[in-house]
Amino acid sequence: MSERRPYVRPMPRDWWAHRPFRHYTIRELSGVTIAIYAAVLLSGLVALLRGPEAWDAWRGWLASPASLVLHGALLIAMLWHVRTWFQILPKTMPKLILGGTPVPQRTITLVGTSVAVICSSALVAFVLWRPF
Amino acid sequence: MTERADKTIELRVLRYNPEADEKPHHQSFTVPYTSDMSVLQGLQWIKDTVDGSLTYRWSCRMAICGSCGMMINAEPKLACHTLLRDLAPGPVTVEPLNHFPIERDLVVTVDDFVKKIESVTPWLIPKHPKPVSEGPYNQTPAQLAAYENFSACINCMLCYAACPQYGENPKFIGPAAMAILQRYDGDSRDGGSALRIDAVHGEDGVWGCTAVGACSDVCPKAVDPMHAVNQNKMNTALDYFLRFLKKRDAK
Repeated sequence: MSERRPYVRPMPRDWWAHRPFRHYTIRELSGVTIAIYAAVLLSGLVALLRGPEAWDAWRGWLASPASLVLHGALLIAMLWHVRTWFQILPKTMPKLILGGTPVPQRTITLVGTSVAVICSSALVAFVLWRPF
Repeated sequence: MTERADKTIELRVLRYNPEADEKPHHQSFTVPYTSDMSVLQGLQWIKDTVDGSLTYRWSCRMAICGSCGMMINAEPKLACHTLLRDLAPGPVTVEPLNHFPIERDLVVTVDDFVKKIESVTPWLIPKHPKPVSEGPYNQTPAQLAAYENFSACINCMLCYAACPQYGENPKFIGPAAMAILQRYDGDSRDGGSALRIDAVHGEDGVWGCTAVGACSDVCPKAVDPMHAVNQNKMNTALDYFLRFLKKRDAK
């Protein structure tokens, strides 16, 4: 009769920093930048409530180089977040079956991303040209 | 013509003998191989010719029994489904599946995994039971497609070895159990979802998953357990919010 002495290997604490989990970690961190951008917008709303001076100060800060750099970085992170969000969309929704066969996950991602790009572009175009 | 095994590759195998070793250690073997040889065959060569005490699980040699899962160059793989020629020039690290206790050499403890599979009531519970004389339970191709890939699970545990959340919290129900649950929950003939929902709830249920997705990446049968886990997040959320409205059968 042999002795049983199962050996438990410790889980490395920094697993998220290594391959193949880096892609996941960057995806999740890009979500944090969305929260940062939400805080920027919220601070604008607070400035609006405080009155014209606060509002002008906030707009002044938006035009500062630091703010432009921050917004550039946030935009890149946001675009990455959108891309990866739609990549896992087919995994988080019920299986889509059309005409007896499952719709490929790649198609769901492509359609979702396209709709997001079209809607966002339309919004940008609307704001830039202001038809009304 | 039989190919001669004139090439060699180094296999660095993690060894652990519970009767003699305090902790596991690597041992290197130089294995002659032909272009059609798998890592499993490499291990068999070692066992047959160098060290008969080398311990590992295997059975079918054709990626269907799910026995020979191990970490090959730190990736969870079926040893029978991984060719040595693809790993040349080596060295190749061969270790037992991550996140499971090691029994001996490449053999891990499977008790926890088996309990998890049992906990999801992994069999069909007919929605409308009927005697055999009334004929089979028919299903359309669309109804089959709803769960077909989840039925391909071979219980090889590669997804658990890939899942960092299972590594962090061994109580997490994990990918394969949820894929198997979805195989039955998603079956049009089945009416047993209410029995399975408790395995889905909570931090140790589907909410332990953070959508890393490594489980689906390593699955040798394209089961896509990540999809099973994450679509059940919606099911458990609906069950949570609608539980006051639903009339449940007394247990």
